[in-house]
Amino acid sequence: MSGVELMAHMVAGYPGMGMSMTVAQALVAGGADYLEVQFPFSDPSSDGPVIERACQAAIEGGFRVDDGFAFMEALSRDFTVPLFIMTYGSLVFARGVAKFCDDAVKSGVRGLIIPDLPPDFSEGLFDEGRKRGLAIVPVIAPEITDERLKMIGDMKPEYIYTALRLGITGSDTSLDEAAMRYLDKVRKTGSKIIGGFGVRSREMMTALEGHADIAAVGSHFLKILDQTGDPAKLTAAAMELKGIA
Amino acid sequence: MSEEIIMPDFFGDFGGRYVGETLRPALDNLVKEFQTAWADPTFHEELRRVQKTWVGRPTPLLYAESSTEALGGARIYIKMEGLAHTGAHKINNAIGQALLAKRMGKRRIIAETGAGQHGLATAAACAKLGIECRVYMGSVDVARQRPHVFAMEMMGAEVVPVDSGARTLKDAINAALREWAATFPDTHYLIGSALGPAPFPELARRFQEIVGHETREQMNEADEEIYAMIACVGGGSNSIGFFAPFIDLPKPRLIGVEAGGRGTGPGENAVRMTGGVSRLGIAHGYKTRFLMDDDGQIRETHSISAGLDYPGIGPQLAALGESGRIEFTSATDEETLEALKFFARHEGVMFALESAHAGAIAMKLAPTLKRDQAIVINMSGRGDKDLFITAKALDRTRWMDFLQSEVQS
Repeated sequence: MSGVELMAHMVAGYPGMGMSMTVAQALVAGGADYLEVQFPFSDPSSDGPVIERACQAAIEGGFRVDDGFAFMEALSRDFTVPLFIMTYGSLVFARGVAKFCDDAVKSGVRGLIIPDLPPDFSEGLFDEGRKRGLAIVPVIAPEITDERLKMIGDMKPEYIYTALRLGITGSDTSLDEAAMRYLDKVRKTGSKIIGGFGVRSREMMTALEGHADIAAVGSHFLKILDQTGDPAKLTAAAMELKGIA
Repeated sequence: MSEEIIMPDFFGDFGGRYVGETLRPALDNLVKEFQTAWADPTFHEELRRVQKTWVGRPTPLLYAESSTEALGGARIYIKMEGLAHTGAHKINNAIGQALLAKRMGKRRIIAETGAGQHGLATAAACAKLGIECRVYMGSVDVARQRPHVFAMEMMGAEVVPVDSGARTLKDAINAALREWAATFPDTHYLIGSALGPAPFPELARRFQEIVGHETREQMNEADEEIYAMIACVGGGSNSIGFFAPFIDLPKPRLIGVEAGGRGTGPGENAVRMTGGVSRLGIAHGYKTRFLMDDDGQIRETHSISAGLDYPGIGPQLAALGESGRIEFTSATDEETLEALKFFARHEGVMFALESAHAGAIAMKLAPTLKRDQAIVINMSGRGDKDLFITAKALDRTRWMDFLQSEVQS
């Protein structure tokens, strides 16, 4: 496979539990190589306003973590793309880290992305994942010190998710030379690199080629969904990012 | 006081630094900078000078003689912390951290505020030190705390309404954390209580300990042995500062009072330590007892006092509650209003609604004790800020008439 793969992000239970499946179908039909499904948390402090509003709406719509796992199970029956759950430590800790990992494995999930459970405050998440062959994806950012990057690299994670700039999801990102140098440094860890936070165009996907393996796109899809109210539009949006005419 | 200090990440099982890697360099750096500042005598000199000339320290300790007579038990003392500049203990932490930020070369400070008390203290500290200030405040709070918004803006702060989530204090914290993840190279986040990711709980306690030290000294001067100390607990900065000098000693009794609100059910109170609707959880960067559902979603809270209306509790307090060193109890909205009236009538002192929770428990405890026992209430804030809430609750008709005539004038 040439080029940068697409990890398409969506919020479980948004817009409504039934519609979530339609959203996933549209993203996969558009060529998404991975699905990153966010389990909504009431206080998502790494996310920008677009994702936060979607999470809030999903919770108000009655989202429960049990529904989330049932959804993942349905996805793994229907699709072959690898599935990731993104959420916050609160939901993982409340369920019990080991049980959360068990349920993830049972529902066919490939990995977990939990930004506020870093390796040194992970409540045993990385160990529990390793025991089950479940990828626990460290989330890092450009300001990371060499010392911490080495610590994370030494854990030999299958994937590393990195923000492409400081801040939160969904705001403007420019991929300058410094960003590329940073990505190349992260890539030396040997892990598959997922770049995210602000990716929204084919141009950016192309710019990441040779520097990252996977581009995570979230707020961009949600904005399209919010503006059009039509999940089918996501297929075209994904195809455009993938460069499929 | 100038010593090399250890900055613990955890207090027992509570605390930690549960934040994304985006915030990590900022927190790690803050630990180092604080350790250096604390070991530097000139930092303490500057802090002491501004505490004396601007904050108004030491705040008085009042022997509440007629309250003691009226309740007929222990001698009651009130630490008049609400006489500090801007009306509450919040200023101790705000000016301390603002001095630290200035020393760190930060050009801007951001803060969250619920009722506006911490926002006001931060705006004042920033104005004093010439630092740019932005305060995040839930849009619900902006609407109901107009006087504080006005005062903050007068001091030059930019007040940013937060429209996400429940649009209250917890959402203002999230908004400030989000901004800080992008701006920390030139901006300090001045969190308002002894909570959040390490080292914030430790920072807030260090800057609030002066309240406890003064109280101990003043009680010694009065030749009193303290039997019990009582403080309200929201996030917990006033109580941990008040209790701090005593937590490693077996005495006196330390009593923390949470907001009992209007009932014991979910959404009716802000009781984290004794009720049945809280659990151990991770949010806002730290682990503690939160008002959360089984999935780990944060619940709505209620208290008549905005300052106690927060779903989590400072990690050190949670640890001391679990170890039994601090006893936790709660006072309802109604008991709080009774305490407010009682101390206003007997001492000519109007407690902030937050602090009146502590007053309410003192009123229950004092009659069960003997006259040779002494208890100290921390009046962490004064009550003029609550006029729009207390007047509406206690004297509704005339207050509404007044508001209407103001609108028409």
